[in-house]
Amino acid sequence: MLQLFKETRIPFLKYKYLALAFSWTIIAAGLINMFFFRGLKLGVDFSGGTLVRVRFLEPVPINEVRSRLSDIKLGESKIQEVGTESREYIIRTTLSKASLADAEAAEIEATEIMANRVIDTLVTDEDRRAAQAGLQDISSLDQNSLAFILEPLLLEDASAQARKILDFRVERGVIRSWNELRDLGLGQDTIDRLKERCYLGSLAVLSKESVGPIAGDYLWNRARLAIIYALLGMLIYMAVRFKLAYGVSALLTLFHDVLLTLSVFSFTSREINLPVIAAFLTLVGYSINDTIVIFDRIRDNLKILRKAQFEDLMNLSINQTLSRTIITGGTTMLSLVVLVLFGGQVINDFAFTLLLGIIIGTYSSIFQSCPFLYFWWKIFKPKKGMRK
Amino acid sequence: MRRNLLARVILVLVVIGTAFILGWPPKKIPLGLDLAGGMHLVFQVQTDDAVEIYVDQTIGRLKELLSRKKIPVGAFTKKELGRFTMSQFSPDDEGKIRDLLDEYLRDWDYGFTAGAVNLTLRHAAERTLRSETVDQALATINNRVDLFGVSEPTIQRQGGAEGDRLVVELPGISNPERAMNLIRTTALLEWKLVHAGPVAEEAALLQNFGGQVPEDMEVVKGDPKKTEGGYYLVSRVATITGQDLSSVNLDRDEMDNPAVGFELKPEGSARFARLTEENIGKPVAIILDGKVQSAPTIQDRISDRGIIRGRFSIAEVRDLIVTLKSGALPASIKILENRTIGPSLGADSIHRGLIAILASFLITLVFMVFYYRGAGVNALVALLFNLIIIVGTLGALVTMKIPVSLTLPGIAGIILTIGMSVDANVLIFERIREELKSGRSVLSSIGFGFSRALSAIVDSNVTTVIAAFFLIQWGTGPIKGFAVTLIIGVCASLFTAIFVSRLIFDLVVPRHRKVEKLSI
Repeated sequence: MLQLFKETRIPFLKYKYLALAFSWTIIAAGLINMFFFRGLKLGVDFSGGTLVRVRFLEPVPINEVRSRLSDIKLGESKIQEVGTESREYIIRTTLSKASLADAEAAEIEATEIMANRVIDTLVTDEDRRAAQAGLQDISSLDQNSLAFILEPLLLEDASAQARKILDFRVERGVIRSWNELRDLGLGQDTIDRLKERCYLGSLAVLSKESVGPIAGDYLWNRARLAIIYALLGMLIYMAVRFKLAYGVSALLTLFHDVLLTLSVFSFTSREINLPVIAAFLTLVGYSINDTIVIFDRIRDNLKILRKAQFEDLMNLSINQTLSRTIITGGTTMLSLVVLVLFGGQVINDFAFTLLLGIIIGTYSSIFQSCPFLYFWWKIFKPKKGMRK
Repeated sequence: MRRNLLARVILVLVVIGTAFILGWPPKKIPLGLDLAGGMHLVFQVQTDDAVEIYVDQTIGRLKELLSRKKIPVGAFTKKELGRFTMSQFSPDDEGKIRDLLDEYLRDWDYGFTAGAVNLTLRHAAERTLRSETVDQALATINNRVDLFGVSEPTIQRQGGAEGDRLVVELPGISNPERAMNLIRTTALLEWKLVHAGPVAEEAALLQNFGGQVPEDMEVVKGDPKKTEGGYYLVSRVATITGQDLSSVNLDRDEMDNPAVGFELKPEGSARFARLTEENIGKPVAIILDGKVQSAPTIQDRISDRGIIRGRFSIAEVRDLIVTLKSGALPASIKILENRTIGPSLGADSIHRGLIAILASFLITLVFMVFYYRGAGVNALVALLFNLIIIVGTLGALVTMKIPVSLTLPGIAGIILTIGMSVDANVLIFERIREELKSGRSVLSSIGFGFSRALSAIVDSNVTTVIAAFFLIQWGTGPIKGFAVTLIIGVCASLFTAIFVSRLIFDLVVPRHRKVEKLSI
C-alpha cells in the first residue's frame, strides 16, 4: 500500500496563534491597502469601461500602440500584450470615477463610443483610404457578402468558396496575405476578383466588450447578492446538520478565505471581474467542503472517544483526514494548474483565483476553522459538550 | 448492499446508456457566445420617447375633437414629460371641454386653473404605455433577427414587467457592426414631396419662402453617405411610410446597382398615385430615420410598385429589407452593454479548453492508479461515467428546450468536477484503508468505508450545490454555464462515487470465499 503519510501525529492546534497572526496580518494589510490606497481594482464588468482585443497583420511594437492611442483622450487605459509576436493586444479603458457622474447624465453609451474610438484609432490611414474607395475589409466580411462578391465569377460555387475562406480566417484570426489564399486552393481569377473588391485590413478585432455604468452597477449588485445569499445558504445548512458552533466556525473560515483572497488580489495587479466572482463562490464551496470533512470526523470521534481532551481529539481528527485533504487538494490543484497554463488569457483570471482559493481553502480548513471551533469551546464551555 | 447485484448492474447500465444516447452526438449541445463567437447585447428602451410621442398624438387628437365640436382653443404647451397645458379658451366653453375630456381622454387627469387646463398622463396608463413599448421593441428586434438569419438567437426582457432592458444574444455573428446597425435603426421610412433643395446652405433653401419654414413643411438633411449631403425642404406630412408597404424585395436599378423593390397596399397606393400624378417632374425624397436617402424625380404616375435607390451596398439593401419588413421600433434604444467575441477567439478557447480537460483527466488518472492501484481504476471508471452523465444531462436539457450552453467557464466547471468527484472516492478509499489497518476483514472494511464516509461526502457536496445554485440564480451569461456544469457534475459524482464505485467493488471482490487482500 502506497502512502503519503504514515500515521501522522502533528499537533496542529499548537500553531493556532501563529496561523491566526499570519492570516490576519495579511488581511489587515490587505484591508488597509484596499481602503486607503485603492489597491483593489474592479474590472471592466463592474466599473464600466471597455476591453478590446485586436490582432495586427504585421507586428506592431507596444510603444507604437500606446502612442497611437495617446492621441485620443482615454480615461485610464492599460495595454497588455498577448503572446510574444507583438501582434495581439488587449486594451482596457475604464471610465474614471470622477467623470462617471457626468458621463452617466450626458451619454449612456459613452463606453460603446469609447470602444469604437479605440478601434478607429488603431486602423491605419491606408485602410481608411481603401474603405473610402468602396473596398471591403476581408477580415470583417461575412459569408453572404463574400459570396456576393464571388458570385459573378464562381456562380453557385461562390457560397462554398466563401465558407472556405471564412473557415481559414477563423482558424488564423486574420488573413495575412493573398498568397495564403492561393495555398487554400483558390484560383488566380478568384484572388484577382477579391483583390479588386477587398483589401487586407491591418487589424482584426478579436473581441470587443463595453460595459456602461448602468450595466456595471447592475452586474455588481447581482454579484454581491449571489455571494451574500450563498454564504447565508451554507450557514443555514451547516446549522441544521451540525451544531451552531460548527456553523459559525465554518462561516468565519469563509470570511477569512474571501478576505485573504481579496488581499492577495489587492497586492497583485489582478482585477475583479465577473468570472472572478464565480471563482470566489466556488472557492467558498470548496473550502467549506474541506472544513466539513474535518468537522465530520470530529463529530464522529466525539462519539467514540468520550474521555479524550477536546484539543487532542481535534488534532487526531485533522491527522486522520490529512491524507484525504492533501490528496484531494492536490488533484484539484493539479487540474487547475493545467487550466492556468493551457487555458489561455480569457480564462486566466478565473483559473488563477480558483487555484489560489484551493490553496487558501485547504490551509484554512486546518489552521483557521479548527482554532475557531476551539475558541468557541473555550469561551462558551457548552454543558452538553460539542456533540450532536 | 450486497443484495440485488444484478438489479444494480442493470440500473447503472441503463443510466449510462440513457446518458450516452441523450448526449450523443455531443455536438448538439450549443456552444456559448464565448466559444462560438457572437454578441451579447443589453439595450435600454428609451420609453420616454414613446411617452413623448403619445403626448403629441393626444394633442393632435384633442385639436381634431375640438375643431369638430367647434370649440376654439388658442394654445397647447408641453410641460415636463407626460404633461401639457391647454389655454386661451373662452370661460363659457369650460363645461364642454370638461365633457369632452371625460369622454375621450380617459387616460388623463386634468385640472382647471384660470383660463387654462393642465393635463397629466395617469400613472397606470403611463406604466402600461412604457411596458407595451418595451414589448413592441422586443417583438420588432425579434423579427429583425429572425429575418437576418441568426441561428438560435435569444431575446429577453430583463427585470420583469417594469424593466426597460432587453438582452439580445446572437451566436455566431461574423459581422457584428452590421448586426448592431440592423437592430438599432429605428427604420422609419417616409416618402415626402421635395419643395426645394438640395442646397448646401439652409438659408439659401428658404429664399423663395421669405426666410421662414412654411407651416406645412420642414427641413431635412441628406444622408452624407448616400447623397451629396445638403438640405431639402419637404412636406411635413409623409405621403406614404414604411407601414404602407405590402412587400419588399431585393432588386436592381437600371445601372445594375442593388436597390430595394417595393409594392404598396391599396390605400397607400392610391395616395402615391395621386402624389405622382400631380407632381410629375418634381423630386420626391425617400427619408429613412430623418435622413434623405435619395430624391428621385417623378417621371410618371406610379401607383403600386417602385424601387428605393441610393448608394447602397448589397449588405445595406438586405438589411434595409429586413428592417422594413419588421417595422419601425416604437422608441430608440441605447446600448448598455456590448460583448462581442470574434469566432477565431472562440475557436482558440475551445482548443485550449479541450487540452485542459484532457490534461487534467490524464493527471488524475496517473495519480489515482499509481496511488490506489486497483481501487484507482475503480475511481477512474466512476469518473468516466461521471463525464458521460454530464454530457448526457446537458444533451437532455437541450432536448427539453431548456436553454443551456457550453461556455468556457462551463469547461472550467467540468475540470473542477474532475478534481472534486475524485474527492468522494478518496474519502471512501482512505476510510477503507483505516478500517483495514484496524484489523477488519476486507468485506466489512469496504462496507464501513462507504457508510462512514457517506455523511462527509453528502454534506460537502450539498454546500457546493448551494453555492452553485445562487450562481445560476444571480449570475449572468457564461457564469451560469459554469454553475450548471458544476451542479450536474457534483450530483453525478454522488451517484458514481457512492453507487457505481461500490458496485464495482462488489463485483470484483468475491462474496463467499474469504478474501485476504484488497488492491487499494
